[in-house]
Amino acid sequence: MSLLRLGCDVGGSFTDFILYDGDTGAVTMRKVPTTPRAPERGVLEGIAALEAERPGLLDGLEALIHGTTLVINAIIERKGAPTALITNEGFRDVLETRREIRYDIYDIRQVFPAPLVPRHLRREIAGRLRQDGAEHAPLDPAEIRRVLSELAAEGVRSVAVCLLHSYANPAHEQAVAAEARALGLDMEVSLSSDVLPEIQEYERFSTTAINAYVRPPVDRYLGRLEEGLAERAYRRAFLLMQSSGGVITARTARAAPVRLAESGPVGGVLAARALAAEAGLDSVLAFDMGGTTAKTCLIEGGELPVTRAYEVDRVHRFKRGSGTPLAVPTVDLIEIGAGGGSVAGVSALGFLTIGPESAAADPGPACYGRGGTRATVTDANLLLGYLDPAEFGAGGIRLDAEAARAAILRDVGEPLGLTATEAAVAILGVVNENMARAARMYVAERGGDIARAALVAFGGGGPLHAVEVARRLHVPKVLVPAAAGAFSALGFLMAPPTFEVSRSRPARLAALDAETLAREFAELAAEADAVVSLAAPGAALSHRLYAEMRYVGQGHQLRVRLEDTAPAAVSRAFAAAYRAAYGYAYDDLEPELVTLRLVSEAARPGPRFAARPARAAPARERLAWDSASGGFVPHRVVDFDGPEAEVAGPALLVQDGATVHLGTGATARRNPRGWVEIDPGSME
Amino acid sequence: MNEIRSAGFDSGMDAVAFQVIWSRLVSVADEIATTLVKTAFSLVVRDNHDYACSLYDARGRMLAQSTQCTPGQAGSTPTVLQDMLRVYPAGTLAEGDVLICNDPWIGAGHAPDVFIATPVFLDGRLSGFACTCAHHADMGGRLGATDARDVYEEGLIIPVSKLVEAGRENEALYRLIVRNVRMPEKIIGDIRAQIAANHVGAEGLKRMMRDFGLDALEPLADRVSAHSEAALRAAIARLPEGEVVNEVRHELTDDAGERLRIRVRLTLKDGEARLDFAGTSPQVMKPINAVLNITRAYCVFPFIATLCPDLPINAGAFRPVVVDVPEGTVLNPVYPAPGMYRSLVSYFTVEAIMGALHRIAPERVMAPSGTYPLWIQKLSGEREDGTAFVTIFNAQGGQGAFADRDGVSAVVFPGNIASTSVELFEHEAPFLVERRGLLADSGGPGRQRGGLGQESVLRCLSGRPMRAALSGGRLVEPAAGLSGGGPGACGAISVNDGPGFVRAGQTDLREGDLVRLAQPGGGGFGPAHERAPEAVARDLRAGYITREAAERDYAVALRPGTLEIDESRTEALRRALAG
Repeated sequence: MSLLRLGCDVGGSFTDFILYDGDTGAVTMRKVPTTPRAPERGVLEGIAALEAERPGLLDGLEALIHGTTLVINAIIERKGAPTALITNEGFRDVLETRREIRYDIYDIRQVFPAPLVPRHLRREIAGRLRQDGAEHAPLDPAEIRRVLSELAAEGVRSVAVCLLHSYANPAHEQAVAAEARALGLDMEVSLSSDVLPEIQEYERFSTTAINAYVRPPVDRYLGRLEEGLAERAYRRAFLLMQSSGGVITARTARAAPVRLAESGPVGGVLAARALAAEAGLDSVLAFDMGGTTAKTCLIEGGELPVTRAYEVDRVHRFKRGSGTPLAVPTVDLIEIGAGGGSVAGVSALGFLTIGPESAAADPGPACYGRGGTRATVTDANLLLGYLDPAEFGAGGIRLDAEAARAAILRDVGEPLGLTATEAAVAILGVVNENMARAARMYVAERGGDIARAALVAFGGGGPLHAVEVARRLHVPKVLVPAAAGAFSALGFLMAPPTFEVSRSRPARLAALDAETLAREFAELAAEADAVVSLAAPGAALSHRLYAEMRYVGQGHQLRVRLEDTAPAAVSRAFAAAYRAAYGYAYDDLEPELVTLRLVSEAARPGPRFAARPARAAPARERLAWDSASGGFVPHRVVDFDGPEAEVAGPALLVQDGATVHLGTGATARRNPRGWVEIDPGSME
Repeated sequence: MNEIRSAGFDSGMDAVAFQVIWSRLVSVADEIATTLVKTAFSLVVRDNHDYACSLYDARGRMLAQSTQCTPGQAGSTPTVLQDMLRVYPAGTLAEGDVLICNDPWIGAGHAPDVFIATPVFLDGRLSGFACTCAHHADMGGRLGATDARDVYEEGLIIPVSKLVEAGRENEALYRLIVRNVRMPEKIIGDIRAQIAANHVGAEGLKRMMRDFGLDALEPLADRVSAHSEAALRAAIARLPEGEVVNEVRHELTDDAGERLRIRVRLTLKDGEARLDFAGTSPQVMKPINAVLNITRAYCVFPFIATLCPDLPINAGAFRPVVVDVPEGTVLNPVYPAPGMYRSLVSYFTVEAIMGALHRIAPERVMAPSGTYPLWIQKLSGEREDGTAFVTIFNAQGGQGAFADRDGVSAVVFPGNIASTSVELFEHEAPFLVERRGLLADSGGPGRQRGGLGQESVLRCLSGRPMRAALSGGRLVEPAAGLSGGGPGACGAISVNDGPGFVRAGQTDLREGDLVRLAQPGGGGFGPAHERAPEAVARDLRAGYITREAAERDYAVALRPGTLEIDESRTEALRRALAG
């Protein structure tokens, strides 16, 4: 079978399609307007249009891979279903009282996001489990039926059942689900022991509530889409992108929509991982800078970092703790309020600030001439000569340098007593340091070693800032792929079918025997394989096993990859992981196991990096700012696919939609397989 | 921008370069904090974030501190290094040294807060310091000594000492600590975590100096301080000038049986806030005295919080707020006054100052909160299998309302520690939490309602000996309202059907015992009968208030048998009240 794969990403304004043809290596993109009220219409119309151009497309397709912002938008815009929560007597406020901590010590006026389930729909029932799963007090079935009926009468369409210690024993939650089924109510039931069988009630309840909240709209949407595809006689795989970087079938997604929340930014990370493998790099830092934000993700040993401490719906977009926890596997990246459209200004404290506010694409930076008047990062890049006013992006916009100069002078220059050029230099200095600072913290929090990593820069702005950011991070190498602007979309088609399952079983390692551990993991494997097999029938499945561990008495778990589940081997793996993360390990302390995880993954070949022929292009020159000499100097303007094997800064490497800025001291070497490798040199 | 100029910047460009360097400094301080949290053993550090991490120049002047830290500790960090250097002058320090100190008068007012500082040498020259302060799970002394009469009962005091000398651990000091604390492996584990975290900070500081070509940090320290000072002065100068006196009466009493008094005279003039605490109660033989470092921290806090929450905290931030506290008072006690539970009093400094500011700029302040004093329950004893446990249970009350918004329910303020997960707690200790939730009608009534307090009920499951040190407050004196708003509900502590505690205290627990804790609500802002009827209806539907309270406190009339508001009758009721 030919490898023909279609990716489809429904965004706010456009629904993007990416078609990959494995025979030719060709990647084609197409945009149709999104139809916000019924997004499936845009998708189906786009598919129809593609099929008209390429008859038989759907028959030849190996898989349709779909990413959607429906879940995240439903949460942020509060457009989920009327949702209730059933919990133990005495605990209906878990969603509301959160962890009680403030996310900013000094800002006394801070607020928190409202719980997705209003208080009058959070209902309590009798019955209680102890921490080991033993029953402390029994359920009252009559009460459960009464509560469910009352909620149905209130118009509730979806209910989250969140009982204490259900990760240890799901029986009570399952009994509530059974009562709901027996009553025949038109109500979706999400159990916390299914959605996230892990210890810590606030995070589990919150994640389950999100699942319940988005389930009816996602179910309806995917149902209509599946019907539409069936009408077009499409019978091959219809897969959904998960926040974890893997795909699952629509059927799985309809029951666990919470796993789809952050599928958007995952594409770039998958593509960066593939590039790292192709280039033989063990550790890369993906650096994706777009119009609104920059994103960074550390990929070590070919493994996507996945976190369960994710938050959505932040009151302060870039302040951790100001959102609602969503503790399902999510690719662990950070978002920084630093994009091309990020607005520059001067704060009351006299600080030059960049973002988090963004002029985005609409109205856009001042130099777009589309109504935006405020100074942005893109305006600074233009003023310093890094962008060509005549050739910007793929959108054919002509940039207005005078508008950029005026905005920068007014918003930054005058308040700080700087010339426009000085102000532009300052803007880039601050935005680069902001990104480097965020990346450094991100890597430190994960116990990674940034000096071992190579930076993979993409997105419209990544290549422009990569060398400067790399210098600040002491990263020895930068890679920029061809078509850096569309790199994320490519990653979409590289996603393997995967599913992660977990179970909290807090216990001292010494109290566990090899048999028990093997059985627990076998059960997890069976559960995950059943899901993955749906998405990849007949494919060979591989497993990755993890244990979240700590020393007895610690509260922070370390995720340990396990090759062998015998207790002695687990103990050794934990000590090694601990030493790698913190530089030392203890012999005199006892390890404890908190949560077991297993990822099942189907092998599936994806798009490869194809050799690109060099093309001759006339070299040009442009004056641009050189921070080494503190003045404007001629920069060579070289085609990204040009024939030179090596280009030394000061120079600009241009491709469609992106420009690589090579400062003095930086050298780029062209790799014919479609990327350049840059030695950034050091900070002056 | 005149404030920037006056802060001594030669040019705007210079200011931007400084900003980039400063941003890097904070990032290094945050890396220290990250390492500390990840490697710490005690719940207090890793889950409650009770720590502060900071960087200093070679003279011990503070440059930056971690984004996440507790305000109280942040108040001691600007001065602690200089105090350490008085004992070990900079010239006597060598590479590989590590200093330690938990003297309450040098540090953060009680023994559990242990400061550990590591000198940073760049190319053989002393360049600065990385320092962490962490709240340790134990420092010896009597467990939960809520009735301590002097500091000797409150644990081991380590004066400024070398914990490590030129890379060699000071074995005698380690042995002394191990022999004096409970769970020494946890305590030593946390000390090691602090050393490891400092090491990360030292490396980051050196890297930063190389990156930016700095051979010394002193000019930077001058600028950081000057900048914060100028910014805070400018913010204070925007307030109307004036002088007001405010007094807060605390429910706890002094040694003569009089209720404690915090009296403050606030003078705003020329961009400076003077706080004179003459008339404040003398120090007491109870563990609630707050050393000057702590008092100073909570004097500066209200100004930063209401005027410029983004201000970088360092010595400069403390200069525009001039604090004058007579020695020997409960806010400036002399050795050996006990102070383990200093926050029982020190948080009320914030209330006293907010109350004074309310008369000058009412739109900026928050009404008194039910969130202080902190509610931290220390539980210890044996599980059924005979193993020992010591753990804490945190749940807090409601915040006060503002002129334009309701108070937040169940949140920590002004300290900043996370609450305990019930599931994790039940794994650590033989208790079953029977309830933990908001308490209806506990938020002070007002045009803007105070945040709700909550109720926690713990059932003891172990038949072996157990002990609880139960602490909280506002058991008698509620959080008052402002501008006509009503007070929040009082707190309550009781065991089984026994009488409510009148103050925090210790008790033995037996199997089946029930501990009931009610955390107080926050004060309201503005007259309750001015609250929008729709807001009252929303509160009723959510169960934040009861029907009785709606009619009694908010003067709304409800349609019989419903939670709907009868608008015309409500209007009549309220008109009568207004008239």
